[in-house]
Amino acid sequence: MSKTNTSRIPHYELLYIVSNKFTEDEVKPIMKKVTDIINNRGGKTTLIEEWGKKRLAYPVKNFSHAYYVLAEFDFEGEKVESIDRDLRMMSEILRHQIVSKRVKTAEDIKKEKEISQKIAARKEKEAEKEVKETEKKEEKEEEKKKGKVDMGELDEKLDKILETDDLL
Amino acid sequence: MDIIKKEKKCHFCVNNINEIDYKDAETLRRFINSYMKILPRKRTGTCSWHQRKLATAIKRARVMVLLPFIRR
Repeated sequence: MSKTNTSRIPHYELLYIVSNKFTEDEVKPIMKKVTDIINNRGGKTTLIEEWGKKRLAYPVKNFSHAYYVLAEFDFEGEKVESIDRDLRMMSEILRHQIVSKRVKTAEDIKKEKEISQKIAARKEKEAEKEVKETEKKEEKEEEKKKGKVDMGELDEKLDKILETDDLL
Repeated sequence: MDIIKKEKKCHFCVNNINEIDYKDAETLRRFINSYMKILPRKRTGTCSWHQRKLATAIKRARVMVLLPFIRR
């Protein structure tokens, strides 16, 4: 986490919502417009993903449904705000959000794998422990039952004693 | 005693998730209550490092209309 590679080009993730007043065919030119904005500003789109029409969690400008589009791009330089400003100018887009995204390096992937393996090993150990504990519990319960039997015998003995001593 | 509560564990630590995705509304929904408020760490058992990330993720999801701000 602490290591930051300065040589790497920063990677960004853009999610935007196109309003519902367009048909699905009309959304495609809008998507092209957005990618053009990114490319003209010197970015490089690496991924475009259409989520399709989705129900919104709350109405935005009286629209209850909208098209979601996800895009990822590399952008060198500091002015991601320029893309943000251009997108804000587009009336077709209801909402958009640009978030910087960390690209996983080979090292990160290796570390993650190691951790996941460790977790798996620990889970196995815990499962074994649980089995042992349940066995122990069963033993204890058996012992308890024995104790109860003893109590019953004691009661009988007590009753006998009481019967004999009742006359006093 | 069996009444003693089971210790809750951080969902993200257990599943080895380092970055919480704000686009995954379904998992985020598990960490908000019926009034759409972010649940405290006490309730969910999330560790403090992940709770901070979770809060920003939920707030981002709200802005992108993936989660509601308030109950309708």
